[in-house]
Amino acid sequence: MLGALLASPLLPALAVAQPDPRVLAEEIRRVEVVRRVGPSVVAVVTGGGSGVVIHPDGHALTNYHVVQGQGGALRCGLADGVLYDAVLVGLDKVGDVALIRLLPKQEKDGKDIPFPFAPIGDSDTVRVGDWSLAMGNPFLLAADFTPTVTFGLVSGVQRYQYPERGMFEYTDCIQVDTSINPGNSGGPLFNLDGQLIGINGRGSFDKRGRVNSGVGYAITINQIANFVGTLRSGLLVDHASLGATVGSESDAEEAQRTRVVIANLITSDAERRGLMLGDEIIRLAGRRIGTVNQFKNVLGLFPKGWRVPITYRRQTEGAGTQTRQVLVRLMGYERREVDENGQPVPGGGQPPKPAKPGEGRPGGPRPPMPGRPPTEVPEGPPSPALKLYEEKAGFANYHFNKARKDAALAAIVTGWGDLARSSGVWTAKGKGLLGEKKIEGPVSLTWSELAKGKAETVVARLDGVEFMLEPLKPDLTPQAMAEPSGSGGMLASLHLLRLLLSQGEKAFPAGLNHAGERPLYPPLDQPPEDWFASRANAQVLEGALGGLRFAAFLVAEPANAATGPDRFLAPSGPQRLACLEVWLDPDEDPCEIHLDRVRPLADGRSLPHLITSRQGDRNFMRLEVESWELR
Amino acid sequence: MGTTLGLFLAALVLEQPAQPADAPLADVARRVDARLVKLYGAGGVKGLPAYGTGVVVSPTGYVLTINNHLLDTSSLRVHMADGTRLEAKLIAAEPELDLALLKIDDPTAPDDLPYFDIGLAAKAPPPRPGTLVLGFSNQFQIATRDEPLTVQRGMVAAIAPLAARIGVFQVPYRGPALVVDAITNNPGAAGGALTTRQGQLLGIVGREVSNELTQTWINYAIPVWASFELTDAQGKSRRVSLTELVEKKEAYKPSNPADRARERAPSVETGIILVPDVVERTPAYVDAVRPVSPASRAGLQPDDLILAVEGMAVPSIGAWREILSGRRPDEPMRLEIRRGDKIEQVVITPVKLPATAPPKPANNPPKPAANPAR
Repeated sequence: MLGALLASPLLPALAVAQPDPRVLAEEIRRVEVVRRVGPSVVAVVTGGGSGVVIHPDGHALTNYHVVQGQGGALRCGLADGVLYDAVLVGLDKVGDVALIRLLPKQEKDGKDIPFPFAPIGDSDTVRVGDWSLAMGNPFLLAADFTPTVTFGLVSGVQRYQYPERGMFEYTDCIQVDTSINPGNSGGPLFNLDGQLIGINGRGSFDKRGRVNSGVGYAITINQIANFVGTLRSGLLVDHASLGATVGSESDAEEAQRTRVVIANLITSDAERRGLMLGDEIIRLAGRRIGTVNQFKNVLGLFPKGWRVPITYRRQTEGAGTQTRQVLVRLMGYERREVDENGQPVPGGGQPPKPAKPGEGRPGGPRPPMPGRPPTEVPEGPPSPALKLYEEKAGFANYHFNKARKDAALAAIVTGWGDLARSSGVWTAKGKGLLGEKKIEGPVSLTWSELAKGKAETVVARLDGVEFMLEPLKPDLTPQAMAEPSGSGGMLASLHLLRLLLSQGEKAFPAGLNHAGERPLYPPLDQPPEDWFASRANAQVLEGALGGLRFAAFLVAEPANAATGPDRFLAPSGPQRLACLEVWLDPDEDPCEIHLDRVRPLADGRSLPHLITSRQGDRNFMRLEVESWELR
Repeated sequence: MGTTLGLFLAALVLEQPAQPADAPLADVARRVDARLVKLYGAGGVKGLPAYGTGVVVSPTGYVLTINNHLLDTSSLRVHMADGTRLEAKLIAAEPELDLALLKIDDPTAPDDLPYFDIGLAAKAPPPRPGTLVLGFSNQFQIATRDEPLTVQRGMVAAIAPLAARIGVFQVPYRGPALVVDAITNNPGAAGGALTTRQGQLLGIVGREVSNELTQTWINYAIPVWASFELTDAQGKSRRVSLTELVEKKEAYKPSNPADRARERAPSVETGIILVPDVVERTPAYVDAVRPVSPASRAGLQPDDLILAVEGMAVPSIGAWREILSGRRPDEPMRLEIRRGDKIEQVVITPVKLPATAPPKPANNPPKPAANPAR
């Protein structure tokens, strides 16, 4: 204080301008963060947007609307000034996200040079009033790809922004006053620790033109985390719907409080799980639901096919209020654009929805670049990225789907040792439960020999009662396929399991596809306190045989072993088959065969020693295997 | 001596830069948000939003907002910060301040609402240009029910009377304004709060206005200490102030809009009768031409649209009036007009306003039932 007073007559200007040392420290920190994360920021030259590298192998995130219509081969620049070839990997049209992969340059010894990548943050911890940094290439200013940095406040979190023409529904997004302009689309939003918390892609525009209006939106990285494992499989990922719509309802007496209630319900898993019109949604996937916007926010976080817990409350005359938690399988959001065989469906795709006036995304028409010609993309030989690109209806890039499918199949067929050489009778013997009731006598499962021209059978003996299925027998009734009654088709499912383990893809002439990643829940008799937290992340293969459709779930062992960037972008550790879901009828609950306690056999091969057959909310049978015999 | 010391201390306080280590902005935002409401009223047509923002200024539910189209309804609703939905009514409006005071009108409304003490806020030293400020509003109606409002940060760029600045139109407020560098004045933001970094109320976020010369948008708030002298038609002087509006509530007597209309009325006669001025930016369409007038001599016709005067765009009837108020008689004006599909130029020479001129339309006339907007 005295020093400042003494100094002021001599250096009045300096004395006034002397900033708080904390301000200086913040500034230094900010500059350091920008320098540290800048190298991960991508200028998506093809498409005129931005992106961010999230893995040293070159995987990067951007917006769907940046790469839309650009084909499979892209060109991207990094802050080092180098132009890289890149390939499209996966697309999320509704969520406006694209996963791409930059192709690395090589060292002299032929080794790939790893890419600088952005560390992943936790967007659920972002609060209103936090500072944020947006980086990218607004107005395509930087011909040398040096990213532009804008700095601003988080203006809102958990914002809902209506879809535009059935696309770009921004759910649970982060609102910032950080300048977001055309060309920023797809670029990263960082917190001041330099962690990636979102992908910038949209703004509220009104009469001021398609430039920053003080209101920009970023897709949260936590939402993208739910999609990235599926995007990685070269898929066009669909978002989820519940099979029910909700509305808000106010009581006459307590107009203050609104309730989110089921307003419409179609044939769906939600209906099968017992939800009814008028039920109040309390929680969805662990998040409290108080408004329709909150419901849409949470629903938007998940891809189609995910199962998430819903807690609902029902008031019944005389019976009071009941609160129940169920695990619901989410349906798709978009109308199908291709049928089961990959053929386009006429009139497919989401019908255009009216956009909220004044809403828009900053991609739009490409901004003019005053005083400079557009960035030159040199003509040359076909892009090396095309070697990693395969076009196929229903896929963003079939190349990556095939690669992941092959890896997953290899894990199934050889992960437990060479099971294919035992094409004879397989038997599993042990003791078990039927429902929650102990089966007194011995329990066994027997699969017949797999040989051309021979009748195949699957037999389950439960305490002297025998159930048998001959899956290849013509004119099987639905009842026969569903044996034992109440299991949803346990024998048919066990048959598919044997085929998958012994023969892999060969057993399925219609083919298999990698369906990305989904949660897998343990087959518990009672719902756990936090169902959502009990999930494991699983890779999924989908296929069909005859009239059956199935999904095979693979989990990494040990679970959650991945660290660093691998933790975000699909762990690639050893995978094992953990569950097979088989649908006899798409409108019924599938039969689930859960496989646990994998232990080695005497011959060195391994097999699961706990087999649980489940349908809907109930375990049908649980078999603790005491001996396996493979001939 | 005491005064000098006081000023000195105040100056020291003001020199304090924004302190990032202070109360987290999230806490400040929550505290301010609890004192703001979402407003729903008239609008939804012609690009006018049917939503806005208000600042709670008493524990019993008086709410300060901008005196705009939103209030032109008998069904005015507020959504409180906790999502409660309540009815509200208009208590008083001061056109010179462009502010209105509402009262939450609901038997179930609590009488211990968190609020901003306007008297206290008005006594705080005004911020200087360069001060970090926060803007809170429900712009673009992003938030619903109990969802928190948008918060933005910016700096005070200037404190200046907007209407005195050349080229600004459609700003009914004519006192000193807090001009900020952030884009705070978006649709629905009017009536929001501009606060200090610590969440102390500085002003009420104003309308969406632009500078007609540069076509740039100006973001401003009406300061809580807003207070200025007016001279009415009788030459009597009177002071209007934001604090008086909030203190007197039902007893507040607004200034007469006619006084102001007279002050701003054109000083020349053209003989052009424009269509009624119904919306904020009604285009300057000629409704009729007085016989034997400068307009008839210039050949103007009904349905002509006045586009520009001497190269200066005329986007609305308000802009036309502003221009006319600055013209002298017998000075020819070059008009650019659109007639049918063609753009034409005419030269009109206004004459001196006759002493017995017909009464001039008020600046904000009552809205006619007809729909003359084309």
